[in-house]
Amino acid sequence: MDPRLEHRLLVSRRHFFGRSSFGIGTAVLATLLRDDIEGAVTTMPVTHFRPRAKRVIYLFQSGAPSQLELFDYKPRMNELRGTELPDSIRQGQRLTGMTATQTSFPVVGTMFRFAQHGQSGAWVSELMPHLARAADELCFIKSMHTEAINHDPAVTFFQTGAQIAGRPSIGAWLSYGLGSENSDLPAFVVMISQGSGNPADQPLYDRLWGSGFLPSRYQGVKFRSVGDPVLYLTDPPGLGGKARRRFLDDLAGLNQMQLESFGDPEIATRIAQYEMAYRMQASVPELTDLSKEPERIFERYGPDSRRPGSFAANCILARRMAERGVRFIQLFHRGWDQHNKLPKQIPGQCRDTDQPSAALIGDLKDRGLLEDTLVVWGGEFGRTVYCQGRLAEDDYGRDHHPRCFTIWMAGGGVKGGVTHGETDEFSYNITRDPVHVHDLHATILDCLGVDHTRLTFKYQGRHFRLTDVHGKVVRPVLT
Amino acid sequence: MGRAGAWRPGWGVVCVLTGLAEGQTVDFNRDVRPIFSDKCFTCHGPDSANRKTPLRFDAEAAAKQDLGGRFAIVNGQPAKSELIRRVTATNTALRMPPGYAGAAALTEREIAVLRRWIEQGAPWKQHWAFVAPRRPPQPKIAASEWPRNPIDHFVLARLEREGYKPAPEAPPETLIRRVTLDLTGLPPTPAEIDAFLQNGSGDAYEKVVDRLLASPRYGERMAARWLDAARYADTNGYQTDAERFMWRWRDWVIEAFNRNLPFDQFTIDQIAGDLVGTATLEQRIATGFNRNHRGNGEGGIVPEEYLVEYSADRVETMSTVWLGLTMGCARCHDHKYDPVTQKEFYRLFAYFNNIAERGRYFKYGNTPPMIPAPTRVEQAELSALEQKLEAAAKAFHELEGEFAGAQESWEQAMAAKTPLDWSISRGLVAPIAGGGAGVFDGKRAVELGQAADFGFHDKFTLSARIYPAAPAGAVVTKTQPVAEGGGYGLYLSDGKLQVNLVVRWLDDALRVETERPLELGRWHHVLATYDGSLVADGIRIYVDGAPRKIRVLLDELNQNFRVNEPLRIGAGGGPENLFRGRIEEVRIWRGVLTPEQGAVAAVSETITGIAARPPGRRTAAERDKLRSAFLEEFGPPRLREAWSRLRDLREQHARMVAAIPTVMVMEEAPEKRDAFVLVRGAYDRPGEKVTPGTPSVLPPLPPDAVNNRLALAKWLVAPSNPLTARVAVNRFWQMYFGSGLVRTVEDFGSQGEWPSHPELLDWLATEFMRQGWDVKALQKTIVTSATYRQSSRVTVELLEKDPENRLLARGVRLRLPAETVRDQALAISGLLVEKIGGRSVKPYQPAGLWKELSGGEDYKQDHGENLYRRSLYTFWKRTSAPPMMMNFDAASRETCVVRETRTNTPLQALNLMNDTTYLEAARRLGERMMIEGGRTPGDRIGFAFRLATAREPGPAERRLLVEGYHFHLDRYQTDREAARKLISQGESARNESLDAGELAACAAIASLILNLDETIMKQ
Repeated sequence: MDPRLEHRLLVSRRHFFGRSSFGIGTAVLATLLRDDIEGAVTTMPVTHFRPRAKRVIYLFQSGAPSQLELFDYKPRMNELRGTELPDSIRQGQRLTGMTATQTSFPVVGTMFRFAQHGQSGAWVSELMPHLARAADELCFIKSMHTEAINHDPAVTFFQTGAQIAGRPSIGAWLSYGLGSENSDLPAFVVMISQGSGNPADQPLYDRLWGSGFLPSRYQGVKFRSVGDPVLYLTDPPGLGGKARRRFLDDLAGLNQMQLESFGDPEIATRIAQYEMAYRMQASVPELTDLSKEPERIFERYGPDSRRPGSFAANCILARRMAERGVRFIQLFHRGWDQHNKLPKQIPGQCRDTDQPSAALIGDLKDRGLLEDTLVVWGGEFGRTVYCQGRLAEDDYGRDHHPRCFTIWMAGGGVKGGVTHGETDEFSYNITRDPVHVHDLHATILDCLGVDHTRLTFKYQGRHFRLTDVHGKVVRPVLT
Repeated sequence: MGRAGAWRPGWGVVCVLTGLAEGQTVDFNRDVRPIFSDKCFTCHGPDSANRKTPLRFDAEAAAKQDLGGRFAIVNGQPAKSELIRRVTATNTALRMPPGYAGAAALTEREIAVLRRWIEQGAPWKQHWAFVAPRRPPQPKIAASEWPRNPIDHFVLARLEREGYKPAPEAPPETLIRRVTLDLTGLPPTPAEIDAFLQNGSGDAYEKVVDRLLASPRYGERMAARWLDAARYADTNGYQTDAERFMWRWRDWVIEAFNRNLPFDQFTIDQIAGDLVGTATLEQRIATGFNRNHRGNGEGGIVPEEYLVEYSADRVETMSTVWLGLTMGCARCHDHKYDPVTQKEFYRLFAYFNNIAERGRYFKYGNTPPMIPAPTRVEQAELSALEQKLEAAAKAFHELEGEFAGAQESWEQAMAAKTPLDWSISRGLVAPIAGGGAGVFDGKRAVELGQAADFGFHDKFTLSARIYPAAPAGAVVTKTQPVAEGGGYGLYLSDGKLQVNLVVRWLDDALRVETERPLELGRWHHVLATYDGSLVADGIRIYVDGAPRKIRVLLDELNQNFRVNEPLRIGAGGGPENLFRGRIEEVRIWRGVLTPEQGAVAAVSETITGIAARPPGRRTAAERDKLRSAFLEEFGPPRLREAWSRLRDLREQHARMVAAIPTVMVMEEAPEKRDAFVLVRGAYDRPGEKVTPGTPSVLPPLPPDAVNNRLALAKWLVAPSNPLTARVAVNRFWQMYFGSGLVRTVEDFGSQGEWPSHPELLDWLATEFMRQGWDVKALQKTIVTSATYRQSSRVTVELLEKDPENRLLARGVRLRLPAETVRDQALAISGLLVEKIGGRSVKPYQPAGLWKELSGGEDYKQDHGENLYRRSLYTFWKRTSAPPMMMNFDAASRETCVVRETRTNTPLQALNLMNDTTYLEAARRLGERMMIEGGRTPGDRIGFAFRLATAREPGPAERRLLVEGYHFHLDRYQTDREAARKLISQGESARNESLDAGELAACAAIASLILNLDETIMKQ
């Protein structure tokens, strides 16, 4: 049974049978699920086939990391440095308004060294030494491509399968489809960290973890590093502890009287939700309290991990959430938009993310969680091989490039030590096995045992799905 | 998942309540079309591209045609109908919907419906919503004493048919709370409740309704839902998501509801107020409706792509709001379910794409077309000032007459004395010594520190006297020291005078230059003005006092170009820009010099020198200079005073005009922009060219109409339009009953839901039009019906049979809308500031929410009365909407949303328990309990309870609350610190005369009352 449904029924049963003389029937249960009915879908199986993974940790790299500096090794670009990008490669491809008026498009190779790593011999940049050592756990997709060319629509596309606002995010879809494994925590959690490479970088938007037209309970809950970890979580000074408990008991008592008098099952749900809120007041601080993590964990995730709100600290939290059954855990790390000063900025971004990402994989593995946790790492598009702005000896920039970029996945359901897809020697066009954003979505859902064509929600007369009418599961990368 | 398990709730009710009994008539529109639409149209429907066979089920002839000796439908003969054979086939290769493609089979019920329908002769009807409503006769009913107005006849008829009785009327306290919340979004006061309870007359309730409809709060309540539909917000919605100013439009909406503007006029003004013959300011403001969509100012976007996005949004929003059609589905291909072609989508699009707008919006502020939209107060202030101005001008001119000869005598006297000069000093910010700058050899530059610190919204003027020796070089700049660096500057380039305003070169910059070069090797006076408008059009360049023609090289400025660099003379923008020649008399003013002042500034002759010449041998600029010097500095005191008064008033007027809020509006561009079908909806794949036009399934435009937006607006509200009135009344119905008679308020097409009461919907729609689209009259009809006035108590039996209250055999019980949850708390605690309109306000919000998303500026909370305004005035940042609103299911305002949704979550509980807003309200309610609520705890609790729920607590409730109160009181009397902390929440002053322990206990109980289910519900 859908754990989400089960939970709600359990909660309601307790209140109906334990505290109320009011009878219960199937229609009442249907009403308890009234929000779900809003879009005309009620009962759903948990999965369509055997899941490989139970949960996802998505390490979103916002701003679009350069594939050329990190994973897509193109040695010939250093030989061609400063020469014009050939028309045969560019193929009249549209450019952003930032470089469309540029008169010259000089090719620039990376300034950073690459080497092969692991049994798989994957090429990884010197900027990512820890991930390099974990190369055999990683499944690189070098042939990602997208349709959007600017950040806002592109991140929105990655998160919701559409460039325009208004659709549910992937986490909301999964929260709706699969529910939570933990009745004291939300199914979909989001954490944000600022990049040290480029602090004034692209912003994020609440819609990225919104529920779109799905009921708002499926939206991602943002866990914050300042103030309350979840908004309004903490009792006000002077009304906590025993006073809060008494408050909740009295509230439940009064609501119960109202339930008996009015018969509206919505009141029973309200009572249950206040209890859930109370449990969250304990479960969330317990989750976010890293003080009991042993020293070696902080060493493993790197020095940043002691700083609340850092990507590294969020990675430890992600592992703790995975342990507690949160379904979709999404980290957003900002700062990857290197239009200029790339050589200066990108090492900082890599320092932020390299060690913690590798540590997360290792940590999950040590705990036996990697096999059913899918980890995804990547941004919203790639970057151009040609230089944006002035090409100097020690300085260059790269513009947005939706035609090809690299992401990697690890864990639950995907093969480690594998590279899928290929780009041309300019890392400009895909030459083998293109993977569209819709395909990635279909693949992630597949890992969770969900057929992307069957996870639907009716809205405005249409059965919407995350992948719209597209999406092909990338079978070769799956175990 | 969804598809396989799909269960249509409307169906659920119909099925449960009516079943498919033997001999029961199947209604094509209610029962059959939804099956065709949902299960068959994808391949056998209106979308021509997806149809692989001629068979289609959206048109009768095509559905019943001869398919080579076989027929999908044979009237009266299910056995001969291929349709039945195929939907019941066990072989998945044959079975429809196609089993081989993974589609689920029809349910037994659906098959039974199709079979029964064919048995009944397969009668076909046009989709009900496309046939204009006809006023239905009132149905016959048995319980004729129940109805209060025609609504009740329709509701009761169905109840009686299904074997139900309506619920009794709700108790008066419940009723007045319900109707007050519904019509004003605020709870009734105890005095209002008492007055109603004590008024025994038959029309007491009606009087209450009339009072509420006349309340200014009514317009605010109605506007809140309209703002959701219109995707109104205070920011642009993309990326940086900076502030825009559309609140004048929001205030127009409030006022329109309050003065009961008929809905047809309300429609015309918003869609095409700019095109009516004599458009008033108000009508132009109204057109802001179609500018409320998001606007992208992100660097690097392709403007054409977003121009398409904006017009498409307008079509989709208009279709949803007025027509209840999901027109957006036809953007990339023909509609899959409704008879709307892709071409028809772009014909509607053609009405909206002819605006003189930019694809790339300004990141900050409003983007043209926009108009100054003074409020009524500002209009009054302006006209008062204009009267003063007129008087001052008159006084000055009279004095001019009196002192007619004074200037001449002064000139003569001056000519005899030591040489004297004068220059424009008002607004001068950089008093740079006349000869100080001097000679520049391509190596040296002068740095002048932090002066002239201007940004993109500042008005300023740069000027100098130059003697260029080379055709390129910086004259005066404040820029980063690299080529094309950020900042502002006046340059010489190829001999032409150039103004650069740069944030990021090429995509966030502005560059204009004079058409003709300056002559090298001689002195020129150069002057440039910028009016803070962000556009090239806001720049003027003068050479030697005369305006020069300008060429625009780049007009993409978007963000603030202010930089932390010194003001430089002879340098800027890198070493290649060092000036060669001489630069003297650098002057910089805050403000834009007029052309006359520009000419005066260029006059090099001293006033003594000019005065020495006879008047006939002076240029106009020289005459102006003398005159200005005389009036500003050297004239007789009385004349100078009159002049300075006039001048000050003019400046004040200019400042006032500049401070007038603007609003983005619709305004036709002088040249028509062509519209095309866009292949697969892609902006860069234009197909067939199209003209404006309305979908053919709906009645045509009148033949003589000028085919523009105004014609479209009138067509929307034409009596022959089958949709607009139905869609509008249905949405109002949703406001009261939680869901529409057609529950899919956004979709009246064939995928929409069959109305629960079709005749009632048509009666309301025709009645609405018959009464001249009178919105208040419609509200009154609804809320005075016996249907609305029913008690919302529900029996187990009814809950089993009709859990969602589609039959309306009881009153509604619904959680209050997000803004009402907060507004009510403010109202009952006495904090609410009742003031209509104005710029949006920033009440409490947890710190850091904006910053963590953007790293930029954080939310700056307001103080004082702005903390307590109604929630529809809360600043709405689209990418980080107010959390308190979002927790309670508010629409995100990113796109048009008309369906109300309600969830019930733990985050709501946390919000109500722990948010400063509610804790402060609890404390203030606690103060009211102590001051106004009587002496005993029981009285005080009863007082607060009644404020929140409109009723006295029952004995058990009161007992529980009093015991709770004593529990808290005991605690706070021993733990004074805890008490002090609890009652320190919020910025409003605490009543220090009240005992802290007692107040804290009251506040705890008040908080409990604010958290009650009953408090946040209307019932």
